[in-house]
Amino acid sequence: MTTANTPKTTKTSEPGTPPAAAGARDAAARGPRALAWQRRRASAARFWAEYRRHRAGVVGLAALVLFALVALTAPWTVGSDVASVTDAPGRPLQGPSGQFPLGTDQFGRDLLGLVIWGSRVSLLVGLLAAVLSVAIGAVIGITAGHFRGWYATVIMRVTDWFLVMPTLVLAIALATVLSRSLGTVILAIGVTTWPTTARLVRAQTLAVESRPYIERAKALGGGHWHIMSRHVLPNVMPLILAQTTLIISSAILSEATLAFLGLGDPTIVSWGGLLQDAREAGAVSSGDWWYLVPPGIAIAVVALAFTLCGRAVEAVLNPRLGVAR
Amino acid sequence: MNTHDQHGRGRGRTTPGRGRRRLAAAVGAAALVLASGLATPAAAQPARAAQTAQTAQAAQDGKDDKGGKVLTVAVAQSVDSLSPFLAVRLVSTSINRLMYEYLTNYDPKDAHPVPALATRWESSPDKLTWTYTIRSGVKWSDGKPVTAEDAAWTFTTMMTDSGAATANGSFVGNFAKVTAPSPTQLVIRLKKPQATMTALDVPIVPKHIWEKVGDFSKFNNDTTFPIVGDGPFILTDYKPDSYVRLKANKDFWRGAPKFDELVFRYYKDQDAAVAALRKGEVSFVAGSPSLTPAQAASLKGDKNIHVNDAPGRRFYALATNPGARAKNGEKFGDGDPSLLDERVRHALFMAVDRKTIVDKVFQGHAVEGQGYIPPRFSQYFWKPSAGQELAYDPAEAARLLDEAGYKKNTDGKRVGKDGKPLQYRVLCHATDPNDKAVGKYLQEWWGKLGIGVTLDCLDNVTDPWLAGTYDLAFDGWSVNPDPDFVLSIHTCGALPQTPKDTGATDNFICDKTYDELYAKQLAEYDPAKRAALVKQMESRLYDLGYMNVMAYPNAVEAYRTDQIKSITTMPSAAGNIYGQDGYWSWWSAVPADSSGSSGGSSSTGIVVGIVVGVVVVAGLGVLVAVRRRATADDRE
Repeated sequence: MTTANTPKTTKTSEPGTPPAAAGARDAAARGPRALAWQRRRASAARFWAEYRRHRAGVVGLAALVLFALVALTAPWTVGSDVASVTDAPGRPLQGPSGQFPLGTDQFGRDLLGLVIWGSRVSLLVGLLAAVLSVAIGAVIGITAGHFRGWYATVIMRVTDWFLVMPTLVLAIALATVLSRSLGTVILAIGVTTWPTTARLVRAQTLAVESRPYIERAKALGGGHWHIMSRHVLPNVMPLILAQTTLIISSAILSEATLAFLGLGDPTIVSWGGLLQDAREAGAVSSGDWWYLVPPGIAIAVVALAFTLCGRAVEAVLNPRLGVAR
Repeated sequence: MNTHDQHGRGRGRTTPGRGRRRLAAAVGAAALVLASGLATPAAAQPARAAQTAQTAQAAQDGKDDKGGKVLTVAVAQSVDSLSPFLAVRLVSTSINRLMYEYLTNYDPKDAHPVPALATRWESSPDKLTWTYTIRSGVKWSDGKPVTAEDAAWTFTTMMTDSGAATANGSFVGNFAKVTAPSPTQLVIRLKKPQATMTALDVPIVPKHIWEKVGDFSKFNNDTTFPIVGDGPFILTDYKPDSYVRLKANKDFWRGAPKFDELVFRYYKDQDAAVAALRKGEVSFVAGSPSLTPAQAASLKGDKNIHVNDAPGRRFYALATNPGARAKNGEKFGDGDPSLLDERVRHALFMAVDRKTIVDKVFQGHAVEGQGYIPPRFSQYFWKPSAGQELAYDPAEAARLLDEAGYKKNTDGKRVGKDGKPLQYRVLCHATDPNDKAVGKYLQEWWGKLGIGVTLDCLDNVTDPWLAGTYDLAFDGWSVNPDPDFVLSIHTCGALPQTPKDTGATDNFICDKTYDELYAKQLAEYDPAKRAALVKQMESRLYDLGYMNVMAYPNAVEAYRTDQIKSITTMPSAAGNIYGQDGYWSWWSAVPADSSGSSGGSSSTGIVVGIVVGVVVVAGLGVLVAVRRRATADDRE
């Protein structure tokens, strides 16, 4: 991995990779911290230059930025009043018109506003669930790769068990047992989707730990925590980042699926929840397409955008993938 | 003491099976979602509908293999038991109605008791002995005659065997002795006068079959088919959550049904049932509990479909937990203590705009709630006087809360003396969209008052309900022509014996004044005087503020006119078809001459097409990504 970080505590231990070393000559006088920052900047710039070459990744990123902007500015553009049923401006299930570009829902609320407002929950749940999932996966993967022995055997068998469990069924079971809230949905998705990450991270950890400098760090008295947090984690971080981006898309889909199956919090507006509302209102059989299509497309587009980004990030960080492209 | 009427259990809390069903449906849908490449799950529905259509064996176009006329009804509620001693759900008791004749039936026009198995009945001057004359010449479907002995055995079994008393035991609680002096005479001795003796909704079962049954609490009457009965239809086959098949009883004493076969086919998804109706796969859809306004509106435009929108027999209410307790005085549950204050309950009552609920949630397919019994039962319908009415008045509600000591704090939340803000848990049925919709309104109305609302939507509300671990709950019961049952569920006598037992009580109300009135009306044989007493009970219940009847939802159902020429509604002027107090609808249904079926609506096709398209695109994207990633991982 070319983005290996320089541990700040061991000032002279790492010779660094050649491009960073070139920059280091100019900045030698500015001390190790500035040096590290400069190297990070350089690698970020390199990353971006590489990323820009992936057209699909750029399209995905643009879509994501757009959705993020829409979600973040929603309090000013539509406001939380859009979800209010008592102040609903329209009549129930009106078709698209000038006043309501995407029509109204069963309460007479503006669907465009609801889709915008719903993006906040869908994106939030997607992000948090993915972070939780990847965090669990990373901790388990790194410890299993580091400690080996009976601990790794036990923990990897647990991982395998989760890997063969049908994820959605497990999530449904969890969401049914726990009370209906956003936290439950995040937890249900998070604790069911981590095994792939754990497997990937463990493999990378094994590869990193076989390198000579780890042995050197051990010889210099580096403990388990030091090795895992200062040497292994920075090296598996790119993998974790790529994995997070990819898991977000499946987390958003899972959130929509759970909400659609009626396992989400019914008082919160989300894309999956909108689909569930539409189904319960009988919009499918009555042909009220404007109730179903916008949230459905929004889910598909965001999931696709995250996947494209994740793919591009993965390809940049792992040049060997470039051949397959 | 109370005459527990199983039809009353239309939609209450007796739905433990729904949870399992829901999960099964969810898992099924989930599997389909996964199979279709993980995307917009809306596509799962048509797929499921198609699957149901393939697996169900009922004939297409209203004809079976032999050319007989088949009436197919789409249902969603699971059968709890086919045994008349155990069945309490609406679907099961309706099927029992078709399988077994009762002593009396209700007239389809105005629901007064009419002869069925009993041709005449009279009470002794002391009102304690009732003599029924049993119709002669009626036969069970295995050829044996139906006698008074069958009826006497049925009642006596319910009096002596607690397992057989599960569903209808309360009817016979006041019976002293039931005898059959002759094959056509049934004599019932009562301990106390009982006003419901012409409304005994107990299926009479054949003694020669049922006396072989060992444990009535376990026997579900689904082992040998066809099931011996004497009703208008004979049950020939049953597969749980798949179908219930009945064939016409050609020897039925009132006349043979016009259809040769009646099939209740399961559609767990209401949209799928509506699609099946459009395609002509089913002749009738009742919806659970009724079609949505959008579905009704779109079906109204179809040429061959008639939408029946009639005043329903249900009330839809918000029940308050008055502090759960058992007959032995033990208190349990954790209902909010602030709800024990009548002023708080009235304030909550006044902060609910019932008119908006009818206009917006039911979109006019309901009548604004007033008293406890729906206006359809005009004899017992009561509405509050102007001075008594708790009309929508948020300002007055706020004043009442202030007066009760729940003042707003700086955050705008109402705070009790203990310093804790008022936050109510509202129990709602996850399977009922109306609960969730009204819940959203409650959250905003009560939120403006400064009261927090947590909507607890569960598939299985029975457990918290019986444990009393809720503050308020969505509630609803189907009301019978004789209101005794729905009145009885609010008496102290209906409370459970101990916290561990299950009582007939609805929400643990126990009020002395109400109980006295209840006992009086049960012993009153004069209809006018009894109705006056019932109205007093409703008035008392209203004043207590524990039951906020928000609406009387209409029965919104639809059938194909090219398959069903005519069908009796009850009441005949403007009434419902599914879940009647009697077998009139299915017995009277006349098949249409031609039974061609038209294709599905094109607009649905477009929607499905768009959704499927989106699914395919998203699915492909994910699939490609996953594949590419998989090769990458392999190399790693």
